[in-house]
Amino acid sequence: MADDKDEKPDETPPVQDTTVEKDSSGKAGSKGAAQMHIRVASPFKVFFDSNALSLSGENATGPFDILPRHHNFISLLNECELAIKTHTGVTKVRISSGIMHVKADQVIIFLNV
Amino acid sequence: MRRPQDIALEEADMTTIVGLTSAFESLASMRISQTKTQVLQSQAFFNEIWHIYSQLRIDSLFRFGRSEDEKIIKKSLFIAVTAEGGFSGDIDQKLISVLLKDYDPAKHDLIIIGHHGAVQLAQLKVEFMKSYKLPEKDDHINVQPLIEYVKKYQSTRVYYQTYVSLTVQDVKRIELNSAVQLAGTQAGGADEIISEETYIFEPNAYAVVGHLERSMMEITLSQVILDSKLAQYASRFRAMTVAHDRAGESLADLHTLYNRTKRNIADERLKEILNGRKKVTV
Repeated sequence: MADDKDEKPDETPPVQDTTVEKDSSGKAGSKGAAQMHIRVASPFKVFFDSNALSLSGENATGPFDILPRHHNFISLLNECELAIKTHTGVTKVRISSGIMHVKADQVIIFLNV
Repeated sequence: MRRPQDIALEEADMTTIVGLTSAFESLASMRISQTKTQVLQSQAFFNEIWHIYSQLRIDSLFRFGRSEDEKIIKKSLFIAVTAEGGFSGDIDQKLISVLLKDYDPAKHDLIIIGHHGAVQLAQLKVEFMKSYKLPEKDDHINVQPLIEYVKKYQSTRVYYQTYVSLTVQDVKRIELNSAVQLAGTQAGGADEIISEETYIFEPNAYAVVGHLERSMMEITLSQVILDSKLAQYASRFRAMTVAHDRAGESLADLHTLYNRTKRNIADERLKEILNGRKKVTV
């Protein structure tokens, strides 16, 4: 590893980006529909923390959706755009990696880990 | 004797220095407060991940996120977290001195974070494997490249500056795996068991456990870097407080000197007038 050594420290580990955008133009579900609580967070920031109708993302198998009353589920997430559908619209969160835990209509997504 | 105009100019410069040191002091104080909040947020995040991990753990071994058949280097990895630049006082020298007491090139490999530490090691002609810049931002510390190294080694020890109080910073060393487990113990135990009978895993339970272990190591390492930055901000705050106090004293001295000089000139003129008057009356 000696050839890896630099004269001066110049290597900054890359930054992992997570962006959030909200689209309220799309039709959301009816207000009486079943909901689940979703929280999307990184060690230093919470990107989404509210009730939602559905969640779409991508793992090693491919794209998937989570709806209320989903079976207990733990999944590693691929780089993708999470789409969280609420009564007011769809919130999109671009992620580079993460892990998701689903249990009893509580969804937690740990980002940048 | 100095002219009052010169002293007034110097006094104006000193007023600027007092203002600047006060601003830097406030800035350091603000960064300390922000970093402390981030440490708390990061700890809460770690606790949640540990909670899942402790329910999921297959055995009590912490595998550093390694797979069963992954080969490891039979050496210890030392990671030293130092400051990036100046204003860090003598704490980095203390850290390097503690590190070198333990360091044996035959048994240990060394990674250094922060330019200040890298320069000191180079001056001491100590070889290190890799060096990284200390991350500038506090909310985006990506330690994945470091974790890739950590995974390859039998054990990892981290040397860093720690924040004791605003006036006291110290050097600390921790074994990374025991630090993770200690943080987990403080976070609390499992309340139920997560298994393949009750959960769907994607891609599988072992991959999830490995990922969680890597994640917790990343968070622990990020916290160490944050703690080190907190100590550096405190050191900077202390340096700025001392500079602010000294500049304030110098300003007061200059102001006294200015008044005294002006008074002397006035007295001198008065004497000249009185002497002149005496000569006229005689």
